[in-house]
Amino acid sequence: MPNRLELSGITKQFPGVLANDNVSFAVKPGEIHALLGENGAGKSTLVKMIYGIMQPDSGEIRWNGEPVVVPNPKAARRLGIGMVFQHFSLFEALTVLENIALGMDAKIPSRELEARIREVMQTYGLALDPHRTVATLSVGERQRIEIVRALLLNPQLLIMDEPTSVLTPQEVEQLFTVLRQLASEGCSILYISHKLHEIKALCDTATILRGGKLVDTCDPKEETSRSMAEKMIGTGLKDIVKPAGRSFGEPKLVVNRLLTHRTGHFDVPVTDVSFTVRAGEILGIAGVAGNGQNALLDALSGEIRSEDREAITIDGKAIGHMDTTERRRHGLCAVPEERNGHAAVADFSLSDNSVLTARDRLGMVVMGLINSGAARTYTGKVIADFAVKALGPAATAGSLSGGNLQKYIMGREILQKPTVLVVSQPTWGVDAGAAAAIHQALVDLAAAGSAIVVISQDLDELRTLSDTLAVINMGRLSESRPVAEFSVDEIGLLMGGVHGAEAAA
Amino acid sequence: MQFRLEKRPEPSRLMLYGTPVAAVVLTMFIGAIIFSLIGYDGIGAVREIFFTPLTNAFKWQDLGVKAAPLIIIGVGLSIAYRANVWNIGAEGQYIMGGLAAPWGALASHGAGGWWTLPAMMIAGVAGGAAYAAIPALLRTRLNVNEILTSLMLTYASVQLIYYLVRAPWKDPMGMGFPQTRRFASEALLPNIIPGTIVHAGVPIAIIVALVAWFIMTRSVFGYQMRVVGAAPHAARYGGFSENKTIWLALLVSGGLAGLAGMLEVAGPFQRMVPGFPTNYGFTAIIVAFLGRLNPLGVIFAGIVMAITFVGGEIAQTTIGLSNSATGVFQAMMLFFLLAGDILVRYRVRRVTPQVEARA
Amino acid sequence: MSLELTIAIIVTVVGASTPILIAALGELVVEKSGVLNLGVEGMMLVGAITGFVVAFTTGNHYLAILLAAAAGVATSMIFGFLTLSLSANQTATGLALTIFGTGFSALAGQGYSARPVTLLGPLFPAELATHPIWRVLFGYSALVYFSLAMVFAVWWFLKKSRAGLILRAVGENDLSAHSIGYSVIGVRYAAVAFGGAMAGIAGACFPLLLTPQWAERMTAGRGWIAVALVVFASWKPFRLLAGAYLFGLVMTMELYAKASGGPLSAIPAELWSAMPYLATVVVLVLISIRRDASTNAPACLGRPFLPSN
Repeated sequence: MPNRLELSGITKQFPGVLANDNVSFAVKPGEIHALLGENGAGKSTLVKMIYGIMQPDSGEIRWNGEPVVVPNPKAARRLGIGMVFQHFSLFEALTVLENIALGMDAKIPSRELEARIREVMQTYGLALDPHRTVATLSVGERQRIEIVRALLLNPQLLIMDEPTSVLTPQEVEQLFTVLRQLASEGCSILYISHKLHEIKALCDTATILRGGKLVDTCDPKEETSRSMAEKMIGTGLKDIVKPAGRSFGEPKLVVNRLLTHRTGHFDVPVTDVSFTVRAGEILGIAGVAGNGQNALLDALSGEIRSEDREAITIDGKAIGHMDTTERRRHGLCAVPEERNGHAAVADFSLSDNSVLTARDRLGMVVMGLINSGAARTYTGKVIADFAVKALGPAATAGSLSGGNLQKYIMGREILQKPTVLVVSQPTWGVDAGAAAAIHQALVDLAAAGSAIVVISQDLDELRTLSDTLAVINMGRLSESRPVAEFSVDEIGLLMGGVHGAEAAA
Repeated sequence: MQFRLEKRPEPSRLMLYGTPVAAVVLTMFIGAIIFSLIGYDGIGAVREIFFTPLTNAFKWQDLGVKAAPLIIIGVGLSIAYRANVWNIGAEGQYIMGGLAAPWGALASHGAGGWWTLPAMMIAGVAGGAAYAAIPALLRTRLNVNEILTSLMLTYASVQLIYYLVRAPWKDPMGMGFPQTRRFASEALLPNIIPGTIVHAGVPIAIIVALVAWFIMTRSVFGYQMRVVGAAPHAARYGGFSENKTIWLALLVSGGLAGLAGMLEVAGPFQRMVPGFPTNYGFTAIIVAFLGRLNPLGVIFAGIVMAITFVGGEIAQTTIGLSNSATGVFQAMMLFFLLAGDILVRYRVRRVTPQVEARA
Repeated sequence: MSLELTIAIIVTVVGASTPILIAALGELVVEKSGVLNLGVEGMMLVGAITGFVVAFTTGNHYLAILLAAAAGVATSMIFGFLTLSLSANQTATGLALTIFGTGFSALAGQGYSARPVTLLGPLFPAELATHPIWRVLFGYSALVYFSLAMVFAVWWFLKKSRAGLILRAVGENDLSAHSIGYSVIGVRYAAVAFGGAMAGIAGACFPLLLTPQWAERMTAGRGWIAVALVVFASWKPFRLLAGAYLFGLVMTMELYAKASGGPLSAIPAELWSAMPYLATVVVLVLISIRRDASTNAPACLGRPFLPSN
């Protein structure tokens, strides 16, 4: 019996990065096949090519034994490939039935469509009222809409992209039941995830990608979590740039049982987060995107204020109730993940962007008026010290390349000499040279006595920078320990959601 | 010939300042052509509406008097719009300021002094600001769109004028006409230039614009307005409260509109009449856009609009062109300006047909 | 209150409400697609003068209405081009459109003031149309029945047809609709044109249905009431019908309240006139307090469509 899907030598190049490098694997009919890897490993690029959103530069795709070209998603659906994306595109004010109707390629009269939907829901135990408005549904229920939509096509291959990242444990079990039933009927499932314990529980085969290359195709039931994590993350570690055994100073930042409230359907709040960072120490917080990093950063920076003043203290002073400006006055600076529209304003000059965060700490405001000369001078210093390629302080932030803008933003905060600096994804989308410069600047800042928190999805970056490491998962933070004490599989497990107390069986 | 719009790396300064001027010039050209085509004296219309008010020295005082309220309200709106707060109810706030003033004048009729005018000014500002506080409250507490609330309140305020001049405030010696008493002399704006109708409101308008320009470019308040409008998330990061900004934007624009109302009532009108709502509040919206939301630009735009108003009246008497032509020209200017807006951010590129590589 | 008076009131109310209803139905469709067109008043005036001039010169009322609709469409295309193809600010463009329509119609109407046209006659034969009792149902002109039919048509279109579903999707989440493959700009152009046609017809109601002549600004702010009405009705066609007649009733009431001399006559006329606007504010507040997704505005309302690619 031919393989349902077979990829041979698939390669895809983007400017500056080889996303997929000669990847080959096969999915059998009725098989639940995991696609495993960290962020940036090449999983989503690969899947986009299977679904026809992009084309491989070289390599062959075979469908049920025959070589095929998938020029667009419509063609993929016609072949029998269905996909459930991680981020749903649903229309909130419309009903379930209307949402599904909009996404269908064929025009089916509403009564017939409703009957077919009910049939699918019945067969797979997906409970949904077709006439309910999407806005009233939970995230798990919304995902069911996407699944029903895919199932209506009678797919032979169903691709699930990080399906459990926003589900409760019960919803995860329900999903697994559906997927097992589908597989038993002969439909193949390609299950993209980084959650090792789920993959062990659900999948028959796992293909592991790292850095665009295929590492292995194995049977998760035979492997241990450790071996899979090692393959996912790589065993070459310990590129420590700093001498071990440095001593740190007084605790500068103490966070005690910090929590935030859920702001939207897809927001992951933080719960019961506690850690301490001493002077000269760099704490790395590892975790896959969407596990509460944004909420954590906002809670630390002051965009979200805490009900408990003592939840965050700097040098012993309670700052939990303060806003961003006041926290800056007390020595806490922060750099959010998003450059454009959050950390910087694209339409403003760099000089005006400096006013955004540095005006108080560096005395740019006198009696309500902005001292533009001071702002310009400071910006010039940032540009010079951080080798920002820009025409000058008057250049707009939007005219800078990603890497240069990030250098400017990091420089703007670092040169304020904060007591505590919290950064999120400091070198995301930044070229290697700029990344190295930013890393060195952070290390130098720590050496000068500041306490630094680095939130990142890039484990290599964290292992380069951090003295101590903690892992965030679903809004909870693991214990922070010296980075040398972490074994690779521990990190992998923690990122995949298994905390010390709930080790996978 | 295929064209494509390509985003510019930096917004074009040339286009930013050039498009208002280009809009005016284009209006003159296209307007002349269109009017000629439909049977009017196109060139004459443009001459009388756009140029005669400038060349005829007698008309300069009219320009000043017409421009003053447009500039004051326009400045306020330019501040609010910068912060993405769409105050469309400036006409209503203008009316409320205009009503607060006679309330003071009538209450103190005959018993006032040097303090009457300043008190009326404060009342005018307060009246306009208070009326703008309603949409501010609804927006910040309940997220109700301020465009609709401020607009609806405008119509309510017009009815309030009609009621007040018909009943409680009616001039006992007015022979039954719906109007208030003429204000006592201490409640009237002094004439700045004797022998003309140029009242104190005119220099006040210029001062307001200059002060606003200074504040918007140099102060933290101005920075706050700009950053909240440009990138609300970054504004939060920078420590600026969106709600506070909405309040400030509405109170300031409402207060200025109210001030303009008071100056109009104490200056040209000298009493409250049903004809008081002259749509300055709506015209000022065009002035704010034409002036590129910059107080100095608003001075230019206010004068241009005043020219078209005065010119429209001139054209009526000299070449018999109906006053309503003014509205057509004003709308055309705004259309051209809005159309040209896209050129600030995008460049027009000619596309040479080429074989598109399969993505 | 006698039956005579009741019927007279009803007939007046229907007449007063019809132009508002028609204009509001058009704007409802426009807003459902995500576009806020504040130029309704201007488009109505263009329709009014067009309808008047055609009726005056040809005597053919139906031709007048048709051309008024066409004039409305043409005017709306100025708005459409600026906001959809050039991504101009919708609020400013709409206001400019109102100013343009006001000025243009006044200019075009020069020389026509105080010239009479005949009113559009009732649709049904005279025995029913002028009957003292049955005229309540049968005494109206075609435009009134048109407006009622359109309420159903718009409701059916939005709720039951696929095209209406696509339009609602475009207004809810333009980026998702675009990624599915629908032409957001195309759908919005069509909606704007429909709004223009309806506004044109609504404008023509004034010289052809209400006062058989032309006067500058004869729509007297009804276009703004229509915009308010759409929000008041939470973008639902049947609520729009109720709201239009409610507003018409309020506008008519002050006359009858004064005449009947009861406690209602103590309410100043101006308060009656202000009531539709104040009521809309109240409804806006109530909608926001309830925060029910189905009564909220189309999520993309007023925002330009800016695909990231």
